[in-house]
Amino acid sequence: MVNYLIVTFAVTLIYFASAERLSTYVRLIALHGLLLCGIAVFELKEVNLVNLLFIIAETLFFKAMILPWLLGRIIGRSGVTRVHRQAVPGFYLLLFSIAGLLISVSLARILLNPFINTIYLAIALFTLYTGLLLIVTHQLIISHLIGFLVVENAVFLFSLAVGSEMPMLINIGILLDLFVGALILGFFGLKLKPHTNELTMLKD
Amino acid sequence: MMLLIFFILSILLAGFALLSPGKAITKGIAVVFSASLIALAIHAWINTGSTELSYFTFDGTSVLLLSVLALLTLPTVYHGFIYTRYDTLKRFNIYHSGLISLMTFMTGAYLANTMTVLWIFVEATTLAVAVLIYHDRTEIALEATWKYIFICSTGIALAYLGILFLGLIYGRGDTPNLSFSSLSQVAAMADPLYLKIAFVFVVVGFSTKMGLFPMHTVTIDAHSVAPPPVSALISTTLMNVGFLGIFRVYSLFASSPVLPFMNSVLILAGVLSLLVAAGYMLKAKHVKRMLAYSSFENMGLVAIALGIGGQGYYAALLLIILHSLAKSSLFYQMGQLSRILHTFRLDECGRYMKLYPAGGAVLLTGMITILAIPPSGMFIPEFMIFRAMVTGGQWLVLVVSVILLTFVIYAMSTRIMHISFSSPRSEGSTGQPDAVNPAETISQFVLLGLVIAACFYQPPFLVDMISRSIAIFPK
Repeated sequence: MVNYLIVTFAVTLIYFASAERLSTYVRLIALHGLLLCGIAVFELKEVNLVNLLFIIAETLFFKAMILPWLLGRIIGRSGVTRVHRQAVPGFYLLLFSIAGLLISVSLARILLNPFINTIYLAIALFTLYTGLLLIVTHQLIISHLIGFLVVENAVFLFSLAVGSEMPMLINIGILLDLFVGALILGFFGLKLKPHTNELTMLKD
Repeated sequence: MMLLIFFILSILLAGFALLSPGKAITKGIAVVFSASLIALAIHAWINTGSTELSYFTFDGTSVLLLSVLALLTLPTVYHGFIYTRYDTLKRFNIYHSGLISLMTFMTGAYLANTMTVLWIFVEATTLAVAVLIYHDRTEIALEATWKYIFICSTGIALAYLGILFLGLIYGRGDTPNLSFSSLSQVAAMADPLYLKIAFVFVVVGFSTKMGLFPMHTVTIDAHSVAPPPVSALISTTLMNVGFLGIFRVYSLFASSPVLPFMNSVLILAGVLSLLVAAGYMLKAKHVKRMLAYSSFENMGLVAIALGIGGQGYYAALLLIILHSLAKSSLFYQMGQLSRILHTFRLDECGRYMKLYPAGGAVLLTGMITILAIPPSGMFIPEFMIFRAMVTGGQWLVLVVSVILLTFVIYAMSTRIMHISFSSPRSEGSTGQPDAVNPAETISQFVLLGLVIAACFYQPPFLVDMISRSIAIFPK
């Protein structure tokens, strides 16, 4: 079951590359939250109940509900619905994305380790790649935010992969989520003008 | 016990500062905090090698960096009082509460003896410094804060991935608390590929704090916008936090087969930092950005020094300490420069020596000091780095570094000379110079004096503590 969820997660990442509407990104981020919740429930059998409940609450409420809601508010304020007028075209991103998947799978095979599932590692690396790709190829601040959330999901997935052995690390990953969610989205995300790429006052 | 008292007291003081009913009370709180930080540093020197609260250890490197912070705390607080004197009470309180929080989190990061605790405190410093960068509430401050948080958070996430890779070197059934002592026991036997990946992630991640290539841009922007006393901290003690993150992991892996790989990564990052810093300093149009690039250049040298090894280890730590003292005094001076010239744009700066001789003297002394021109104490570590390059046969790195440092010296000296003696090239700034008391420069002269004194005499306790910090490295 976990493998199905992880593969679905990978498919959503490819969809990230081809999507053009910001609302699609928001839905995908919410879906990521649900999928990560499912993966955590099935995977973390050795974690104590309190820890597991904390992780479920974090994925289900924070990742699947609060973050998408905040993103929706920022997008609503901006009035912008599409991203690709100010980004690399979706077709090229799709190609980059597939290439990234192949590289991630190859890397995961090289990094074969008895303590980590190869599929986990491959998809975590691919998630990291997709997040960085979104940040690098898009110019809109809102796209950067979404890219960062994807990077965070990569970290979360990776920490889940080693989580049976290290529950403390998962909790620290969650701290990062709370920090970013509350500060970046809640405060600065709403203060900046997210529909523009006007962060150019500071330069040499 | 002392550390617990310090943390509790700091939290209380930060809270009280935020809710304080008057500026005088807030000032008192900030001074009390400074005194407690200095007391903690003294306690750390007396109890070097001991562990407190399980997660914190007073080891050589942490005591050195904590001492630098303790040394800078009073001047930073003092210049902060001056900078915020016309602020509303609310903003004044937020500033000082943020400053207390930042120094507390940096203290935690210095003393942490596990990777995870170090990481948590590094993340916390981002939160505190964001409040301070955004202090002026301008559009440009918002942009700088946004970039700082965004890139730092991405960097911290990458560093976290590095820490997860570190966790993977443990076997199933172990209790991986990721403490430096337990990691050092297993690192030598770990899969080198995992160590290499972990190191690269940690270097990239913590370079957002250290201001090292490739994640340097964020600190440059933050420097140029933040209040000068805050810039002084970002450019020195906060960069030292990033350095410490990298230094810890480097120390852990120093006895493993990946040492040559780590050295190559550090030398490459260092040389590229020098290259970018030299390039941007040659076209710098903003005084604070130029100083920020100078910090970037010095961090590049520190990375090279670590990568070269041998005497470079000693030089790296000495350079970190002396750079902190010299650069902070220059940034404190920027607060007075802005009150005299009402601008940081180089074209609009000029005749500073005539308008404010004490400040002009600080600028010139600071320039000589930061450029490591004798009698600057920074000459000693830089000379040691070059000697280590010769000893290690790193001729290409030597030649490239010398050429790039020549550009840096040219760029900085011509600009400081212009500010001090020439007339402004354009009349952008308006208004008469504010009245600035020359006594405000005393703390800057004291710090610069310490750096110059280090050229002639390095106290045995300092030499001993640095030697203790680098004892684990191969000779």
